[in-house]
Amino acid sequence: MAVPQPAARPSRVEVTASLASAAPLARGEWLDRHARWLFIAPAVVMILIFSIFPLVASLLIAFSRVRLRAGTYSMTFVGFGNFEKQLVGSEQVHFLGQLTAFSPPAWVVVIAVAALLLWWLVGYARTQLTVIGLLGRLVTAAMLMALTLMLAATLLSGGQIGTLGVTLFYVFVGCAVQFLIGLGLALLCSQITRGRAFFRVVFFLPLMITPIGIGYIFRMMADTGKGPFATLWQWAGLGGFSWSADPWAARLIIVVADSWQWIPFIFVVLLAALESVPRDLVEAGEVDGASSWQIFREITWPEIAPVAATVMLIRVIEAFKLVDLPNIMTAGGPGTATESLTLHAFFAWRSLDLGQAAAVSYLLLFVTVVLCVSFFNLVVLRRRAAMAR
Amino acid sequence: MPSGRATSLTINRLNKYFGGNHVVKDLSLTVAPGEFLVLLGPSGCGKTTGLRMIAGLEAADSGEILLGDSDVTHVLPKYRDVAMVFQSYALYPHKTVAENIGFPLKVRGIDRATMERAVREAAAQVHMVDYLDRYPRQLSGGQRQRVALARAIIRRPAVFLMDEPLSNLDAKLRGYMRAELKHMQHALGVTTVYVTHDQVEAMTLAHRVAIMDHGVLQQIGTPREVYESPANLFVAGFMGAPPMNFVRGRIEQGRFVGPGVALPVAGEAGPRDAVLGFRPEDARVVAAGAGLFDATVFAAELTGDVTLVTLTLGEDTVAIKMPKEYEADFDSRVAVDFAPARGFLFDAASGARLPAHLVRAGAA
Amino acid sequence: MSIAPRPAVHRRWLEPARIGAMSPLGGIVAYGLLGLWAAFVLFPLYWVVVTSLKLPVDVNTGPYFLPWVDFVPNLHAWRGLLVDDAGPTFRAYLNSIIIAFSSTVLCVLIGSMAAYALARIEYRPRLVSILIFVLALVGACVAVGVAGIDWRVATAVALALFVLLARALGRRFPGAVHNGDILFWIISQRILPPVVTIIPIYMMFQSVRLLDTHLALILAYTVVNLPIVVWLMYDFFTKIPIDLEESAQLDGASRFLIFFDIVLPLARPGLAATTLLVLILAWNEYVLALFLSTSRAQTMPILVAAMNAGEKGILWWTMSVVIIIMILPVILMALILQRFIARGVLLGAVKG
Ligand SMILES: Nc1ncnc2c1ncn2[C@@H]1O[C@H](COP(=O)(O)OP(=O)(O)OP(=O)(O)O)[C@@H](O)[C@H]1O
Ligand SMILES: [Mg+2]
Repeated sequence: MAVPQPAARPSRVEVTASLASAAPLARGEWLDRHARWLFIAPAVVMILIFSIFPLVASLLIAFSRVRLRAGTYSMTFVGFGNFEKQLVGSEQVHFLGQLTAFSPPAWVVVIAVAALLLWWLVGYARTQLTVIGLLGRLVTAAMLMALTLMLAATLLSGGQIGTLGVTLFYVFVGCAVQFLIGLGLALLCSQITRGRAFFRVVFFLPLMITPIGIGYIFRMMADTGKGPFATLWQWAGLGGFSWSADPWAARLIIVVADSWQWIPFIFVVLLAALESVPRDLVEAGEVDGASSWQIFREITWPEIAPVAATVMLIRVIEAFKLVDLPNIMTAGGPGTATESLTLHAFFAWRSLDLGQAAAVSYLLLFVTVVLCVSFFNLVVLRRRAAMAR
Repeated sequence: MPSGRATSLTINRLNKYFGGNHVVKDLSLTVAPGEFLVLLGPSGCGKTTGLRMIAGLEAADSGEILLGDSDVTHVLPKYRDVAMVFQSYALYPHKTVAENIGFPLKVRGIDRATMERAVREAAAQVHMVDYLDRYPRQLSGGQRQRVALARAIIRRPAVFLMDEPLSNLDAKLRGYMRAELKHMQHALGVTTVYVTHDQVEAMTLAHRVAIMDHGVLQQIGTPREVYESPANLFVAGFMGAPPMNFVRGRIEQGRFVGPGVALPVAGEAGPRDAVLGFRPEDARVVAAGAGLFDATVFAAELTGDVTLVTLTLGEDTVAIKMPKEYEADFDSRVAVDFAPARGFLFDAASGARLPAHLVRAGAA
Repeated sequence: MSIAPRPAVHRRWLEPARIGAMSPLGGIVAYGLLGLWAAFVLFPLYWVVVTSLKLPVDVNTGPYFLPWVDFVPNLHAWRGLLVDDAGPTFRAYLNSIIIAFSSTVLCVLIGSMAAYALARIEYRPRLVSILIFVLALVGACVAVGVAGIDWRVATAVALALFVLLARALGRRFPGAVHNGDILFWIISQRILPPVVTIIPIYMMFQSVRLLDTHLALILAYTVVNLPIVVWLMYDFFTKIPIDLEESAQLDGASRFLIFFDIVLPLARPGLAATTLLVLILAWNEYVLALFLSTSRAQTMPILVAAMNAGEKGILWWTMSVVIIIMILPVILMALILQRFIARGVLLGAVKG
């Protein structure tokens, strides 16, 4: 093969000669030498100041009685006083709900849950046992048991649930509904050939609207007198019905509004996950004669499960913080029936009871951390490990 | 320093561990100013790791690296005055060809006009002047390769490092770029260390070849030396296509004894297990009894310019290149003949070349 | 005539007509359900637009659906908000824009830098140092809160103690945490419900007289969104071929140049998506604004929420206008950024 030679041997211009000796790099030398720290320091310092310090300070406040006076404040240490008030004291009905003697169904549920948890723990202890693993599972089990007892003593025995129960309702019922619908829509959308882009854009819209706005929008929607469906309500004989007057109806409409906003998020992520499932895996399944359900169960679901688990973790974390919708739609009412824990803390803060506010928010933090970390360790990590195998 | 300053590169007892994995073991070598040294070895033998230590991208666990007279072992990469061409070319996808080539100068804060001139000059050297406004994704593999080269030569580094720069190209382009590279290195006179696992590249490009295996330097010498006088079994078996033939046997009482082989040996070699090696192109197939030893024809394949004859000899097989007209029957008995000086004797246990050679029967 | 028998009627509905297509029944069901959901999503939005064009009397006398058919559209609500009441509206709007955009820029910048550092530089902070830091922090808080010592003194003493002790004990206990732990720590900050930290932050801003200022909200928003940026961008940075950065390093580029000139442009799809997400979150944020702004720094969500308090009940028409003008900048940003956003951007991070 003929190798074209350069027309003439390139002349070495002085330009390049001077380049090598140019002693550059002096600029910003100090910056570069310390880049290692300069890159991460802003983020860490911000988090330390606005997240770690307040976390510690907040704990302190939760153990104190705080009095605000013009521009300043005084703190008295009261030990577990604030927590006692929420858990066993005068705020118990507000926080935990109306505790009553267990009804028969409550007993059944409590015993069933206890048995399940015990079975789970024993099963774990039999197979692989590490100290940390066992401790973590014990904490998880204890938390689940405590929440079950709380629900059994209130909801299942005819009492009212408190703000803790309401928050759990928003988190578990809301997230379950959102996941099912989001997954369903994503599955449908991944099947169709035309119009996918359209649905993707339309379904994304609610995410852009401020939750406050959504609160108002759904108040309009739910208005049985002047709302768009008023005729429908009147025809059904519910013309005088008010969603915000009935505890369960009010909670339900809040979950509906929350779902309206967040299903798009789950939908978008799961659709992307579905689209990235390797085509040949599905096709191999089809060639082997699997039914659509079998293909979903055996091929698609394991592929998207890690994504689904993570996306649900994110959703659950955010759902624990729900506050704007109940505040706008019902102001926590009727009574305290739709008050989430964040709203509970906010009301305490507004009545200048900072100690109570901090105590409630710490209780929220505790429940959130235990449940989210358990979910992360027991579901998300396991799903990912299953995929990595 | 002025341009055309060729710098020597010295490596002393360099070691590198990845966890418990000893990847580079006591590597020592010297590259003369302006020399083109090729680091050759099978995949995973530590070539890239060695090169990255010279560049400063990987810290050496022990040993030292000298550029000219200065010790750069603990110097940050950007102060070492070395340029590297990566196997992936590492072109910045969001920058045009001109911006890519000019990047080292931009970093040094060189003024625009000077930079543009230098970029044009460097691009001219790799015949890429017409492509200055394109983006890397709009270039072919060979063109990308050249841009990477231009980016390396523009700042006249003391040392060029290249990690398999041609391995992503198709065979034809590789041959062409090889010639270009060789010419350019000659024209620029820059000390170059070039990593490859392709022995043809090594043979054609190198002033000297350094052969590595499992992190250990096996032999360093000119391509001819390495080919004609391999230091050990590994080098002998690694160089050449098809590789050197090996016949296992023993040296006893001044003779090499193998399966159907008994040849007189001269030189310093006590009784031991040994391996006799000879290159396929050095030997001929002759009528049974007329050569150094007899063997059975296993197959004869016409590969184009030669016929490759495979013979069995006990448990060993040997390959011999014959003129393309040669034909042989399966399983027929033939003999192998070659000049005794073209046979090499190695110690079977250590693999080292033995200070002994064959002699023609009767001459002993 | 084809040899295959004609399928039975129910087969014709249940089996796809062509390979790679859906069965007719499946198609109807799929499009039906998707269309139903699209209606569920779009109808409330339509209702908001329509309501913004209604007179109070049209709203109060029952549902009217179609402008020009059911009722006569009227721009009084738009005029009321954007002309008569322009002062407060525009101030809140401007506040929102300043706060949301500044905090987004700051957050994406700081967060990407941290994410990049964690992706490419190895950190090994000692466990003991972290422990000492936490103890010093708790000590300082107790000193300020309970003993009433001036916070500047307490901070200085705590920092000095930390440095001294960390130096003295750091070498003795070699246990250290890794990049992965730091990453997890940063991301896990997102679990914190804002109410937990907001009370001390409120007091902190109060003591430095920053309450009800833009800066306070910008800083607070930056911190709450930082975990998201670090998490999403980390994933992007690890996927950029390291060859590019090493090559630039050999060419003499500093870390900062490599980051701003090479890494960030290459991570543009992720950057765009992250920016959009953070912007939406900051723009719509409510709780922090509720605590930290009272009048001057009030943002749009607070303005919207405050409309509840009027003695005439809710002014649905005004509310609708506000909701609409609040969506517009987000949609605009989405349109601007979407051409950079690669599909499935979120996916990469979520896969873990
Ligand atoms: N960053 C690393 N961490 C751990 N082990 C590594 C690392 N880089 C390389 N190794 C190991 O070191 C050995 C040498 O690797 P190296 O990349 O130097 O080989 P090489 O000779 O360049 O091979 P190739 O021809 O395939 O490029 C290999 O066994 C490899 O697995
Ligand atoms: Mg390599």
